[in-house]
Amino acid sequence: MNPVLQAAAESISHGWLAGLVTVFFVAWFIGWTWWAFAPKNKQKFEKAARMPLSDGGDQ
Amino acid sequence: MWGQAAIPRPPIALGQTPDQSQTTNWLESVDPMQYTNPTKVDESTYDDDIVRMFFGATVLWGVVGMLVGVVIALQLAWWPANLGLPWTTFGRLRPLHTNAVIFAFAGNICFAGIYYSMQRLLKTRMWNDMLSRIHFWGWQLIIVLAAVTLPLGMTQSKEYAELAWPIDVLITVIWVIFAVNFFGTLATRKVKHIYVAIWFYISFVITIAVLHIVNSLAVPATLFRSYPLYSGMTDALVQWWYGHNAVGFFLTTPFLGLMYYYLPRAAERPVYSYRLSIVHFWALVFLYIWTGPHHLLYSGLPDWAQTLGMIFSVMLLAPSWGGMLNGLLTLRGAWNRVRTDPVLKFFVVAVSFYGMSTFEGPMMAIRTVNGLAHFTNWVVGHVHSGALGWVGMMTFGTLYWLVPRLWKRELAYPNWATTHFWLATVGIVLYTVSMWAAGLMEGLMWRAVNDQGLLASPAFMDIVNRLDPFYWMRLSGGALYLIGALMMSWNFIRTIAASRSEVQAPSAAPAVS
Repeated sequence: MNPVLQAAAESISHGWLAGLVTVFFVAWFIGWTWWAFAPKNKQKFEKAARMPLSDGGDQ
Repeated sequence: MWGQAAIPRPPIALGQTPDQSQTTNWLESVDPMQYTNPTKVDESTYDDDIVRMFFGATVLWGVVGMLVGVVIALQLAWWPANLGLPWTTFGRLRPLHTNAVIFAFAGNICFAGIYYSMQRLLKTRMWNDMLSRIHFWGWQLIIVLAAVTLPLGMTQSKEYAELAWPIDVLITVIWVIFAVNFFGTLATRKVKHIYVAIWFYISFVITIAVLHIVNSLAVPATLFRSYPLYSGMTDALVQWWYGHNAVGFFLTTPFLGLMYYYLPRAAERPVYSYRLSIVHFWALVFLYIWTGPHHLLYSGLPDWAQTLGMIFSVMLLAPSWGGMLNGLLTLRGAWNRVRTDPVLKFFVVAVSFYGMSTFEGPMMAIRTVNGLAHFTNWVVGHVHSGALGWVGMMTFGTLYWLVPRLWKRELAYPNWATTHFWLATVGIVLYTVSMWAAGLMEGLMWRAVNDQGLLASPAFMDIVNRLDPFYWMRLSGGALYLIGALMMSWNFIRTIAASRSEVQAPSAAPAVS
């Protein structure tokens, strides 16, 4: 087997990569939740919530 | 409700003091920073012909797919309906039914709904009209090829991915054409902020491409025969990674996108919580992709992978219900209109069934519950509570909302829409209740043992025979659902015909001011 692929497979079985991925996704989750609920974005998202209504589709 | 369509009303949240933005033209209250071009875009900018084309295809294939569904339901209750011909047996018509309702009925409404809403949300015409047309005709060609090859017995034997490899290649080409047009439109948009519905559409476009290509990788042997690239357990895992995400990204995320556009439009209310929609979107797409292994519990799949699929399925309850609550709470202050507006009726029942089936799904993904439910008709009941309840009712609501806007004409028979709603709702209840009861009975009887530890019902046929009344009850539910769809189709045909006769005889009528 290709030694690079072999090393990659072994590193997965070690588990540290799985841990790193888990930490990354948890951080990502916290990140997007913080972004969504950040006070500075409040007004922006309240306006975004009206976007379907403001498309002028019915005139 | 049809008459009100022409009058956009300012949305006012209950318990909120109306401010300047709600008493004046609230179109102008939108933050100009959000728009690269704050001037209002004229309706003629948009390509609505393509929406009308996909609209017609949705109605046509919906009726065909549901009709085949009723036929195979009859075959299960009454075997002579197989007609003794190889082309009309259950084994060949069942994939025809699933392909027709998923990829033809649900697929076409997703495209119709996306083409209509994305142009308006991005305030731009579709990037390339020719690509839109190639997408439409290519997709219909794929459906026709499926309708011919599946009854002939040409199949890859992968659930929801039965089509032979040349059709798989065609699907890939057409999907890429759609994606190029989609992202071209996104790139040339006039609005800076990409509204949440579009995010759901993006997940649909990207994920379906990935799922379809990876699961369909095969080595062709002849024109209509091929061998999958994967074997054994790997093949099963790839198949159910695909299979469950077909539910997730073909029947859930695009429909949530439709919900986030058409429900606020129909209710004339802003989305209850836009922030929740962001969290809901990312959590949903992230969790969904890992849930496939719940189809392979108690199989040869490594235990850790089974457990992973189970845990992610259970976690999926949170974003699913976040979406359901966001949809229902958007109706705050508009509930009185649900009583009179058939569009809102369809949406409310759709979102409610979304909530029910996304509660049921995580439950059934728990190993011990799955031990009872797997291979029983409970699974069929679960799928149809999602398919008839969520996908079907969302589709009907969207179609009824679109008709007066696309053809500038009120429904020929406005009351029929409400009749259709009740027929469909009663049909779903008959369908799901009978299949739940049948499935629980099967699951319990298969595992029941007597005092000696022997199977209480050793003859499998004894249990099969007991399904008879449930199968008839399911057939009646499905038939009611089909009758409703037929009423809707006739209603639309009359409406569109009336609209056309008006357009074609301009000399006979004086100019309308």
